[in-house]
Amino acid sequence: MAVENKRIWVDYTVFGLSIFLVFCLLFESYIELPNLVAWIGRWHPLVLHFPIVLLLVAIYLGFRGKDIPYNLRVVATIATLVTAISGFFLGTENTPKGDLLFWHEWLGSTLALAVVLWYWLDGLQLRKNIYSKALQILIIVLIGFTGHYGGLITHGEEFLALPKEKRQKKIPQNPLIYQDVVGRILEENCVSCHNPNKKKGELLMTNLEGLLKGGEVGNTVVPGDSEKSEIIRRLHLSHENEEHMPPDDKKPLNDNEIKILERWIALGASDTIRLNHLPKTETLGVLVKVMMEPDPMKKWALLPKVADSTILNLSSDYINITRVASNSDAIKVNVFLSPNHSQRSITNLARISSNIVELDLSGIPVGLPEMDMISSCANLEWLELDRTSITDEELDKLKGLEKLRLLKIYETNVTAKSILVFKSLSNLKSLYLWRTGIESKALDEFIKERPDLDVDVGIEKKVESFVVVLDSIPKT
Amino acid sequence: MEKDKKKSENPLKVNRRHFFSQLSVGIGSLALGSLLIPDLFKGVTSERLTHPLGVAHFAPKAKRVIYLFQAGAPSQLETFDYKPTLRKRMGEDLPESIRNGQRLTGMTANQDKFPLMPPAVDFKQHGESGTWVSDFFPHTAKIADEITVVRSMHTEAINHDPAITFFQTGSQISGRPSMGSWLSYGLGSENKNLPSFVVLTSRGKGNSQGLYSKLWSSGFLDSKHQGVLLRSGKDPVLYLNDPEGISRSDKRHLLDQVSSLNKLHHAETGDDEIESRIAQYEMAYRMQMSVPDVMDISKEPESIIKLYGEDCQVPGTYAANALQARRLAENGVRFIQLYHQGWDQHGNLPNEMAGQAKDVDQASAALVLDLKQRGMLEDTLVIWGGEFGRGNYCQGKFDPTNYGRDHHPRAFSIWMAGGGIKPGLNYGKTDEFGYNVVENPVHINDFHATLMHTLGLDHEQLTYKYQGRRFRLTDVAGNVIKDLLT
Repeated sequence: MAVENKRIWVDYTVFGLSIFLVFCLLFESYIELPNLVAWIGRWHPLVLHFPIVLLLVAIYLGFRGKDIPYNLRVVATIATLVTAISGFFLGTENTPKGDLLFWHEWLGSTLALAVVLWYWLDGLQLRKNIYSKALQILIIVLIGFTGHYGGLITHGEEFLALPKEKRQKKIPQNPLIYQDVVGRILEENCVSCHNPNKKKGELLMTNLEGLLKGGEVGNTVVPGDSEKSEIIRRLHLSHENEEHMPPDDKKPLNDNEIKILERWIALGASDTIRLNHLPKTETLGVLVKVMMEPDPMKKWALLPKVADSTILNLSSDYINITRVASNSDAIKVNVFLSPNHSQRSITNLARISSNIVELDLSGIPVGLPEMDMISSCANLEWLELDRTSITDEELDKLKGLEKLRLLKIYETNVTAKSILVFKSLSNLKSLYLWRTGIESKALDEFIKERPDLDVDVGIEKKVESFVVVLDSIPKT
Repeated sequence: MEKDKKKSENPLKVNRRHFFSQLSVGIGSLALGSLLIPDLFKGVTSERLTHPLGVAHFAPKAKRVIYLFQAGAPSQLETFDYKPTLRKRMGEDLPESIRNGQRLTGMTANQDKFPLMPPAVDFKQHGESGTWVSDFFPHTAKIADEITVVRSMHTEAINHDPAITFFQTGSQISGRPSMGSWLSYGLGSENKNLPSFVVLTSRGKGNSQGLYSKLWSSGFLDSKHQGVLLRSGKDPVLYLNDPEGISRSDKRHLLDQVSSLNKLHHAETGDDEIESRIAQYEMAYRMQMSVPDVMDISKEPESIIKLYGEDCQVPGTYAANALQARRLAENGVRFIQLYHQGWDQHGNLPNEMAGQAKDVDQASAALVLDLKQRGMLEDTLVIWGGEFGRGNYCQGKFDPTNYGRDHHPRAFSIWMAGGGIKPGLNYGKTDEFGYNVVENPVHINDFHATLMHTLGLDHEQLTYKYQGRRFRLTDVAGNVIKDLLT
């Protein structure tokens, strides 16, 4: 009799909890939880593991045709209900709910009610019944889906996605500062915790409205005042500080990224401003360009290895060969005119031609053999051939140096024919060619064609004549 | 590095500290073996020196520096920091709320009044950047869009010697290596036939302060990093030329013999300075060829001479040094330090400054323009400025046509151009009295950190261990001012 009594009390408990859960679900929008109750919700991530295991064990026993011990059934059912209810409490902390949370909540509740049904059927000794079996299968499916959505909420939607290619999507040529730059920084560093499904601190960072609205603390972004903006304050806190963002285990933002957010806010946190709207001297523009340009050290990481001994062998008192930076195989070469200069000293550089990114041959006798060596430097970015004897014939060898960014050929005898070579250098950004044989008309047309290219044809006449005429020290 | 040093130390020159430190290791290892100290036999690990010397830490924007130092400290209020308030409130006493306890030099500390003194020269805005430049500097005004003016420099020193030592070495107390030496130590030389750190001096007619070779000393760094002063005139480096009757091959023979003797001595004593000396003899031998060639401006075309001003043909003038600086930069000298003396205007400021400005204005602008057309502004950093600023109140008798200004550490202006520095920027702000920095302050340590950054050096990583601790140019301070960088 005592056993019977106990069982009735268990039944009452299960029934009561089920009713409470249904009530919660039906009147969700009217419920406001007292703090202490809401706090119970925080136990959800801890509790949820028990019913999963208990249910799986129980159902496994059921399938094997064994008796499911009564106590196991009771504990599993009550644990499921407690988990569902605590989960509901936790869910109320996030409004509005994202898709993930919505599905997790309803799947979880359905699961809890399905378990109650199973408890009841089992109590009626219907465990061998086909409906009972179907119910068990349903429970397993529900556990799978509920758990899956719950996991995505905790770990981020990307957590289970297949490893993506590391290459970040390229920032477009003239980016929208908010969408393409700020958005990307937030996406990479913040959104995994501040999205519609997991709104830590009530802060939504997936769109501008969310940022402007702010979170619990408010003032996340104060347009025009980065110092008052909570987001900037927190980025600048020391890493040990509890309030520092991103939190401990996450990678902190780098200086560049912080500065970009700061300047973007200081300039009014607009979502329409583009890179070309910014004045030339605005830091934000520069920082964005830095982000757009791949880090040279990364770009050079794929260069073939060069031994220090090779560098030493090719160097001399007049040929200075150094790594552009330590731990890099990118090489820069400066050649100075030696009293007994030999062509070989330059053509020998062919051994490291694919490593040379900068080459300075200013004022050095350069002929076709040297130019052949240069044309084999596929990674060459910076080339100084000023004050040499080169002509169009030699310059022609530069065709195909696609990475060339800067070319100095002032004080040489190249003529307008070489414009064709310049045209083929698609990455060229700076070209110095004052005092050459290139007449101005053909050049003007070329300059118009390539607005991205800085062509320097000497000091502006207006400035030069000013400086020269106004000789500040009168002759005595 | 440290390991090599240990090895080369003469075993007989063991001092008390070495003895005890090595003894303790000996006893320690006997007693504990490698059980308790697993790393005991791994030798000295240089935990800080992760970057090899002679190579930049990361890809640099600038490869060399031309520092146009205006010794004596030109007044920011007559150069780049335009303060109309001083005219409005001319003669009024400097409010104590602005001075705020600033210590003064002995020259004005006893003045009972500090009447505000407006600049004796007009200012105009120039270029697209709208940079304010005084009429003393019409040529510099023309390059307003190439330069970045920093109006928020500040220092702690109030007298010339500590202030200039601070600027050059990162410390007010002499003895530390000069920044040119640090760069030579960190980056090595670009051209082995010339020193990597060269100094050129010139003197204007204004009130001057002394320059001492300690300013370009290598301090505790190897003496090969020391700045080499090139003199004006026939012998840019004293005793560089061979005496009559000695041929170049004789000289070679002599050097080889001396060097073998030196090497013997080095093997005996292990003194690193001997190796430096050998290297310096070799360098001098090559400089016999390279220096006269670099210093010979006779091949410069007429247009370039006119650009720098006729004065540049007179050796020892600022204009000549500026042109020389470009030629040295072209030839791979890493740090070219110019000093122009005569900017210490405690009195007669309007006249003296007009004269000083005439000395440097055209040549400084010409240098920037010339570097630009050669594509050298892309990788050469040019800096113009003094060691501190000058006060906004009158020193001595109050006379707007003939006044003086005392030293002022809290705010002053410099400009920079090229080499990874954003062009056409106006950085930092002072209050309406031009006395205190109110926006984006740049301390000398920050300036050094930024300069090193443009050259691809992390100022926290470039260290040298001396007297038991590691030293840096920025010592324990300094932040890179990112806003200034391209």
